[in-house]
Amino acid sequence: MSTTVVSEAEPEPQPGGPAQPAPRRRRPFTVLGPYAVLALPAALVVGFVAIPIVQTAVRSFDLLGVRGQVTGFGGLSNYRALFSQPLFLISLKNTLVYAAASVVLCVVVAWLLAQLLSARFGASRPLLVSVFSPTVMPMIAAANIWLYFLAPRIGLFGQLLGAIGVHGSNLLGEPGSALGVLVALFVWKFAPYFALFIMAGLQAIPQSVREALRTEDPTGRYAFRRVVLPMLAPMLAFVTTMALLYSVETIDSVYVLTQGGPNNGTSLVMYYLYQLGFNYFSWGPAAALSALLMASLSTLSGLSLIGLERRAFHWQ
Amino acid sequence: MAVSRRHPLTVLALGFVAVIWGFPTLWVLYATFASPRGGFTLGNLAEAFASAPFAQYAVNTVLIVGGLLIMQTIFGALVGFVLARYDFPGKSLITGLFLLQIVVPVYAILIQEYEIVQGLHMLNTKTGIMLPYLVSGIAVLSFRQAFRAVPRELEEAARLDGYDTIGVFLRVYLPRAVPAALAFAVISVTYHWTDFLWPLIVTNTASARPIVVGLAMVAEASESGLQWNLLAAATAIVIIPVLVVFASGTRRILSAFASTFDW
Repeated sequence: MSTTVVSEAEPEPQPGGPAQPAPRRRRPFTVLGPYAVLALPAALVVGFVAIPIVQTAVRSFDLLGVRGQVTGFGGLSNYRALFSQPLFLISLKNTLVYAAASVVLCVVVAWLLAQLLSARFGASRPLLVSVFSPTVMPMIAAANIWLYFLAPRIGLFGQLLGAIGVHGSNLLGEPGSALGVLVALFVWKFAPYFALFIMAGLQAIPQSVREALRTEDPTGRYAFRRVVLPMLAPMLAFVTTMALLYSVETIDSVYVLTQGGPNNGTSLVMYYLYQLGFNYFSWGPAAALSALLMASLSTLSGLSLIGLERRAFHWQ
Repeated sequence: MAVSRRHPLTVLALGFVAVIWGFPTLWVLYATFASPRGGFTLGNLAEAFASAPFAQYAVNTVLIVGGLLIMQTIFGALVGFVLARYDFPGKSLITGLFLLQIVVPVYAILIQEYEIVQGLHMLNTKTGIMLPYLVSGIAVLSFRQAFRAVPRELEEAARLDGYDTIGVFLRVYLPRAVPAALAFAVISVTYHWTDFLWPLIVTNTASARPIVVGLAMVAEASESGLQWNLLAAATAIVIIPVLVVFASGTRRILSAFASTFDW
């Protein structure tokens, strides 16, 4: 919005324009300047990103009425209300366990997949389609597939266990195993995707370095620790940050597979925020949780962006 | 460092990987098309289509995803061009604004976005779903990167031939950004057609609801009503088209994914 004002205030051709400032007049672009082009997209980002960020932060300190309207300044009361909810503390603990397990397993499995599949996609097409089919399908569809697989009584998983004599097991029926299912689904869905990045990183190691390693250190252990790992470190840091971001954002699989149950064992913070805001209409705690999530998600997302600005392949 | 693919252990590992990642999906497809009395059936699929307005959901999804791709590409190309080729006061501030769009996901400011769309009376509309996503910072950076790689000499030659800025943009710059635009298209389409939470809270009837939200509602219903064959068939409706597309362009699509953040 402010950019519109600026463009009206500066009607002259912009300084430092194209390499050869054109002498001809009536060239619409240079007369209006870059600001005219930027005005609408910049205004949309201000309206739908910048202002909501400020509002999310400010609103978390306001007193909110039954319909979510501001009724005064509340200081930290929303945060106090949030942290006094037992379900929030449970959700926070669940999310920490879920995120830690998901990220570690996801990066390890992605690493193994990347080693196995080779960087040039040399594997056969049926193998690639099967490994990367979870990558191209929505999380909701992946969760549905797992639900069908794990469904009590009719699910193939239970039948297979029944065939070897284990009856009545229901992975989604116990808090611990249900959270484990969510972790496994996360790894199944995202590890192949992250393997793509690690494969790109492995491929970017120069041929000369690989050959030198092969002659200098045939067993590869020392080379891996001292050469390959440091070269891949920026990419691994990026993948880890992205996995952490995705795991904190998780809601789709909770919605389909467990609805936070059993016994709140799979209530994750994003799902809890959804319930606070759109089921319980508990605006105060929702505003506080929003601000906390905004800070953590944006930090994670910003960190991954900084990692990329270093291009992750700086040795090239 | 890469293990030879002929090694028996590698073959075993690849087979294990194929089963773990491929089998659950194949099983759902099998359950959809296998008749309980043996043989092939379209009955489950027909029943799923009758149980929820999947055709409407699919049309909504195409309109939302296609509309977003068009808008994001237009804004991305224009902004990317200006940022790649012009200097002006406040440029770094404006660049920062588009970076902010990447850094702060919609999920992080969900409730405020909801209130804005509510204030515009656009709840339960396709436009309402699209509004927060109209400008994509990733598109801006992708195009900026592609345009920066265009040699200045080409632009100068075109200007000597009498092209104005718009002509130079259309004839010199845009054609050279096609690979970047295609890679961005894969990313944008994949992100937006699989998006769940935002369309879930914005929509409350079938008129604007995209297919992924519709599918989640089938899952809810099947858990209460135990209509498991419907769950398999509805999931099949959603994944078969994307699996067909993916199987026909496997390597190209995988490369586009790998370049997601490669500016």
